[in-house]
Amino acid sequence: MKKTVLAIILTLLCSVPAFAGGGELYLYIWSEYIPDEVVENFTKETGIKVNISNYDSNEAMYAKIKLAGEGYDLIVPSSDYVGLMRRQDMLLPLDKSKLTNFANLAKKFTDQPFDPDNTFSVPYMWGSTAIAVNTATEEGKAVTSFEDLWNPALKGHLLLPNDVREVFTIALKTLGYSLNDTDPAHLEQAFEKLKSLIPAVRVFDSDSPKQALLSGEVSVGVVWNGEAFVANQENPEIKYIYPAEGYSLWLDSLCIPKGAKNLDEAHAFLNYLLRPDVAAAISTEMGYSTPNAKASEFIPEDVRTNDIVYPSEAIAARGEFLDDIGEAMNTYEEYWVRLKGAE
Amino acid sequence: MNRIVKAAYAALVFAFLYLPLVVIAVYSFNASKYSLAWKGFTLQWYGKLIGNATLLDAALRSMTIAVVSATVALALGTLAAFMLHQYRFKGRKAVFGGLFVMMMSPDIVIGISLLVLFLGAGLALGFWTLLMGHVTLCMPFAAATVYSRFEGFDPTVVEAARDLGATEYQVFRRIVLPMAAPGLVAAWLLSFTLSLDDVIVSFFTTGPTYEVLPLRIYSMVRLGIKPDVNALSVVMIAITVTAVVLSRRLLKEKS
Repeated sequence: MKKTVLAIILTLLCSVPAFAGGGELYLYIWSEYIPDEVVENFTKETGIKVNISNYDSNEAMYAKIKLAGEGYDLIVPSSDYVGLMRRQDMLLPLDKSKLTNFANLAKKFTDQPFDPDNTFSVPYMWGSTAIAVNTATEEGKAVTSFEDLWNPALKGHLLLPNDVREVFTIALKTLGYSLNDTDPAHLEQAFEKLKSLIPAVRVFDSDSPKQALLSGEVSVGVVWNGEAFVANQENPEIKYIYPAEGYSLWLDSLCIPKGAKNLDEAHAFLNYLLRPDVAAAISTEMGYSTPNAKASEFIPEDVRTNDIVYPSEAIAARGEFLDDIGEAMNTYEEYWVRLKGAE
Repeated sequence: MNRIVKAAYAALVFAFLYLPLVVIAVYSFNASKYSLAWKGFTLQWYGKLIGNATLLDAALRSMTIAVVSATVALALGTLAAFMLHQYRFKGRKAVFGGLFVMMMSPDIVIGISLLVLFLGAGLALGFWTLLMGHVTLCMPFAAATVYSRFEGFDPTVVEAARDLGATEYQVFRRIVLPMAAPGLVAAWLLSFTLSLDDVIVSFFTTGPTYEVLPLRIYSMVRLGIKPDVNALSVVMIAITVTAVVLSRRLLKEKS
């Protein structure tokens, strides 16, 4: 026993990596959010070793970066967290001269309010949150807009995201406001409107809402397009609807946090991810949409023409990106507690 | 009749405990990627798992940290338990209370306070900070398990050994430890499991160089959990069960 313990400790001493030197990169990202082949190929081309560690939510990543302050070279926050971290001076400005492929990005994803002129962020993947309906059911067939969610026939058949911003989007858009609205009067109106929607909700689920749709537990769900894409592959009667009133778009971007040590490597990796063939490989593997305009020729026909993944220009124009709303978040949270308490 | 009721009750308890594991095992052979419907038998998720180097690396790192932290926590916990059992001293109640407070503390509090401590001490986050975090997490549980075993002893045996001229160390090494062996094994396995399962403390105390399995799995929410995780769970369960069976065997042979 003693010998084994000693052997284990000795092996450990040898296997603990030496402190980071040149030619390395520390990427902090959701797991399975970047294909292994893409990373391996980058290492083959440049000799830069990529170390990946993971987080499960923007909040967790933000907490770790805020507390630890260093050790990570690239992070992948969602749009509202780009806004938040930019305002809190937690990000480093990008050196655009090293990002020669930046022009490959489609215009509708660059220069957004949460990061004007993309000083700090490079769009990585995007998608929408809209309505998945099971057209095999009477109540599912009838839904074409957010307004229809208030239809009494839906009572007990509705799934909503377990996310205050996404749920408020439903009411704000129905009332004709921006989903980043911070006017207290508007928020109160939205809250009043949502109060009458809550009784219809069967479940709040952001993690895997496709399960409830596929099992028939709910017939209508407000879900991420990636979830709807998978559900539709399994069961073609589950369709995805972009509400007439508008809906929320999410965009995950790559940023360099303050305290990053390997800036050259980070820029090299960013520029590599902006290559059309690489962006296409990521999009095809993940079933999510790339903001890279030049990637489409590399994306298989069936993905490119699927409007769950790549909606038409006219539909995409109705979407709006979530941004950080600062102090107003407290109001949202307060209403959220009251809404969920009323279940 | 009474026996049937007892057997049925026991079966229910075991079903409740083990059914989830059976379900995971079954799904790891299901050809369908997402749906709960059975779409035929396949070994492809096991094939995928073998090809998923990042997942396997993380699994290996998790196993390593679990073995080391369980061993360290057991050593420290046994010493603490022996001290609490054997001696009456000033502050004994406070030590007791301290252990219980650690057991009751929410993981997130432990995780964040450890992170702040490590950063204050200027330590680079990685294997060593994670090890300290896991030892902190497991030690109180190990101590409590071993302590309850010590309390079940016949104290006269220890006294007899002393009368026969045994030193403190000899008493501990020759009498107490062998008698406590089942408790030690239980404490080690409990610590091992705690370490292997822990998400929250790991998240805060590890650094970018040492990523463990629960964090990898927990962070798959962006795209949904993949079936090769089911396959990995089955492999891990198999390893754990084998370890438990082996340790029971070894204990039996010794006694």
